[in-house]
Amino acid sequence: MHAEKQQHAFEPKIVAFVCTWCTYAGADLAGTSRLQYPANIRVVKFPCTGRIDPVFILRAFQKGADGVLVSGCHPGDCHYMAGNFHARRRFAAFRQLLDFIGVDLNRLQFSWVSAAEGGKWVDVATELTERVRELGPLREFAALEAEEHWSGALATPELQEAYNSI
Amino acid sequence: MTTTAHTIDPALYAAATAALRQEARTVLENGTAAAVIGWQAGRRAGSALPAIVTDPAGAEQLIFAPGCVNNLALYLTKAKKEVRGKGRLAIVVKGCDLRALAGLIGENQLNRADIYIIGIACPGVYGAHADRRLPLAEETVAPKCRECTVHTPTGVDVTVGTLPDLPAFTPREAAELARLEAMTPAERWRFWKEHFSRCIRCYACRQVCPFCYCEQCLCDRNRPQAVETTPRPAGNMAWHIVRAMHLAGRCAGCAECERVCPMDIPLNLLNRKMAKELKALYGFEAGLEPQEKGPLTSYREDDDQSFIK
Repeated sequence: MHAEKQQHAFEPKIVAFVCTWCTYAGADLAGTSRLQYPANIRVVKFPCTGRIDPVFILRAFQKGADGVLVSGCHPGDCHYMAGNFHARRRFAAFRQLLDFIGVDLNRLQFSWVSAAEGGKWVDVATELTERVRELGPLREFAALEAEEHWSGALATPELQEAYNSI
Repeated sequence: MTTTAHTIDPALYAAATAALRQEARTVLENGTAAAVIGWQAGRRAGSALPAIVTDPAGAEQLIFAPGCVNNLALYLTKAKKEVRGKGRLAIVVKGCDLRALAGLIGENQLNRADIYIIGIACPGVYGAHADRRLPLAEETVAPKCRECTVHTPTGVDVTVGTLPDLPAFTPREAAELARLEAMTPAERWRFWKEHFSRCIRCYACRQVCPFCYCEQCLCDRNRPQAVETTPRPAGNMAWHIVRAMHLAGRCAGCAECERVCPMDIPLNLLNRKMAKELKALYGFEAGLEPQEKGPLTSYREDDDQSFIK
């Protein structure tokens, strides 16, 4: 059973943080238009891209996402006037930070998808999914997550010796 | 090896100390300030600790020496509520600390009229592991002082001390930053992972930062928990990324976070990197003048969006 399970091809998990006014409606349009796009995308709806804290992206990676898509209204179309302009600066800076830490930026995609662009949503979603599929699973964060759980790290010979000598 | 060319004469600090005491006594006597925030000698030779002096006679205990590493701007933030409210405060600042003060004024945490700034012409301070019996020299100077551009504070109410001809120290942080930037992402990941894995989550970096004045920190919240709080590699990585992100475009580069880190994590490298990137992206530099809007609290319609599909 286990061996059989390992034979499955890698299916990327992708989290999409989208704004409710444009991209969510765009994705909805893609659905009502019966357009097909990969089922790897999990959509999380936000009031605005300006609400999407870089922490959310980080947490998505930490909790097992292989790719993250952030999408909102085109510049000038924001329901809250300037939310996406602020988000744009924040994400530009955050990308640089992630790159400096050593995260592959190919796994993180930003896009503008309006409520009328069902087709563009399909393109962006498909492209990111295929790219992440090529890259394979995101191992760095998973390794970090698994590392040094206390139960494991306490069993070192050095610590054992220290306990014995108390 | 010519030691004289590479050391800073201790007599300069004595002169600055005398001028500082004189100034502090004056402002306390004539009522310009209700208290002076400065440094006093610590118990160990060569060390100094922050002092708040309210009595003109107490001005005698103030010092300026290479051990005066603390960024006193911290004492004017919300994080140190007990200091505020004594009346108008005078504060002694080095050039790097003044940048933090300018940032706090820009963020409406302080009113320029409520503080009297005594600037110090500062030749440099000790690094975290310096042998404090030695004079300030190549081996003992702090990394940030090697590339300091603000030896003489500007825009202060009064400047004390005089600056000598400063020896040229070898830059270290810039070289380290260039080395990291030249690495592949995988190498950088390994570098930071090793450093962050040692983090014990003491939050000293947060407590000492003049810009970490939030009354409730995102990273202390547990409902919902944004950042894991146990000192485990995953949570540590998140904490340091969040910290660097929150300081992007605000950090004044006083490098206090790095100095207080008990695990010697090169935190200022992250801050410097972000400052560099924001300068490249938006031409913004945390400067000596208070600025109302930082790069991440403002925008231009024609900002670069080449990374957005």
